[in-house]
Amino acid sequence: MSNFFQVKTVFENIPEIIKYLPITLELAVVSFLISLLVGLILALIKIKRIPVLLQATNVFISVIRGTPVLVQLYVAYFGIPMFLKYINLQYGTNWNVNGVPAILYAIVALSLNQAAYNAETLRAALQSVEKGQIEAATTLGMTPLQTLIRIVIPEAFTVALPSLSNSFIAMIKSTSLAFVCAVVDMTAAGKIIGGRTYRYFEVYVSLAIIYWIITIVIEQAEKLIERKIRVPEDVPVPKKQKEERIEEHVTGNKIRANRKEAGDPGSESVKEIQAERSFG
Amino acid sequence: MIRVRNLSKKFRQNVVLDDINLDINQGDVIAVIGPSGTGKSTLLRCIERLEVPESGTVEIEDRVIGLAPGKARRKDLSLLHRSCGMVFQNWNLFYKKTALENVMEGMVTVKKIPKAKAREIALSYLDKVGLSDRAGHYPRHLSGGQQQRVAIARAMAMEPGLLLFDEPTSALDPELVGEVLDTIRQAADAGYTMILVSHEMNFVRKVANRVIFLENGHIIEDGTPKEIFSNPKSERLRQFIMKIDRLQEPDYVI
Repeated sequence: MSNFFQVKTVFENIPEIIKYLPITLELAVVSFLISLLVGLILALIKIKRIPVLLQATNVFISVIRGTPVLVQLYVAYFGIPMFLKYINLQYGTNWNVNGVPAILYAIVALSLNQAAYNAETLRAALQSVEKGQIEAATTLGMTPLQTLIRIVIPEAFTVALPSLSNSFIAMIKSTSLAFVCAVVDMTAAGKIIGGRTYRYFEVYVSLAIIYWIITIVIEQAEKLIERKIRVPEDVPVPKKQKEERIEEHVTGNKIRANRKEAGDPGSESVKEIQAERSFG
Repeated sequence: MIRVRNLSKKFRQNVVLDDINLDINQGDVIAVIGPSGTGKSTLLRCIERLEVPESGTVEIEDRVIGLAPGKARRKDLSLLHRSCGMVFQNWNLFYKKTALENVMEGMVTVKKIPKAKAREIALSYLDKVGLSDRAGHYPRHLSGGQQQRVAIARAMAMEPGLLLFDEPTSALDPELVGEVLDTIRQAADAGYTMILVSHEMNFVRKVANRVIFLENGHIIEDGTPKEIFSNPKSERLRQFIMKIDRLQEPDYVI
């Protein structure tokens, strides 16, 4: 029975798997950044309804959303080398097909996959910005690019953030499929450990714990960012005024204390009021 | 002197502006009045090229700027936007920026004024509209009237040759209208050239030096407030003013 499930092994695996955390994070972060950029471009194409590009974008989004990410990884892994070989043959170039690092295939597949989803999220967020603000920026003389960067994107980002952090969490977990492109990420490392010790179940539990903790960290980070970038609920108080207010409070207390020492008849009532307040 | 020439705008089959010509002298305060749906707002929006008219030009600083599609060059439009500031019915303040940042934005990005200097100028304009103590407030923390005053400060801070007011008080609670009108009057007194679309006839009478009556896309009459309100020439204007007077005067007086 003691060999049925070894809790100790679960925790012993973790440090070994964690060594591959940088690969997982690199894969996720790089792919996500690319997907944001590509997604933004696709979203702008859809909003501006640029002919030809619009149709191409729609087809792209439909194909990507209509196929499993695992299949896309395979297509990237086998397709890109074939494409390079074809170009070499056709144009007499000398691309080294074997020199392409495996992680690149995974990044291409994952980022394009995520871009299709992000395009829709970003489009909705960009369109949620009131047209009036864009007009106001135009009348000030701002160029469309300045308006986009300084007015539209900051506001749209607040709207898009919850969906984007969702996507990023999904991205972290999609990286666990990268082993099909011969990338050794945390999941692949876990499989290797499992193959060595035949303790597959424990390894998978270790992996589950690690992924869960990463997700918790991302969730907390999202909350923090959301709080940072939103328009504050209350009127912001400048630092100087805040200090003055605190000082006022302190001096107020001092005056009360002084009165009490001097046996001021008012001190009794002050005391009462203070007592009342503390109950309230 | 700013000249608007041959301005025509249709929405599908509906002709809103029909070959409008308008000369705006330095220091003019022009009020545009007329029945609803006659293209008063469209006139302002076409001058600013927020709407693209079928034909028309604006002449600023001896440069003729084409407004029609295909005739507008980017450099010209940039000059147009810098020369014409606009205040909207719905304020349109930048939601994620404080009052101060709203006023600074154009100066920093368009005029390339260094931030510290822009801040100083912006504060002085906020002071002019009586809101220097609200510099750190976001639009959502301000009342409608205050937001509109920030919007006026934002437009004035760009020092435009022409200020366009598109029904600046019609989205406001009645008790907030006064503070905005006071601000507009200050701008008029300060010598800004402006075109004002407004339904506040009493205000128009006092502030404007020229009133334009617009109907069905034509300028029917163009004159001083006295000429327009006390001595209307056309039958249509007479009817329009009678209707307004009936609204503003009590039915009977004891």
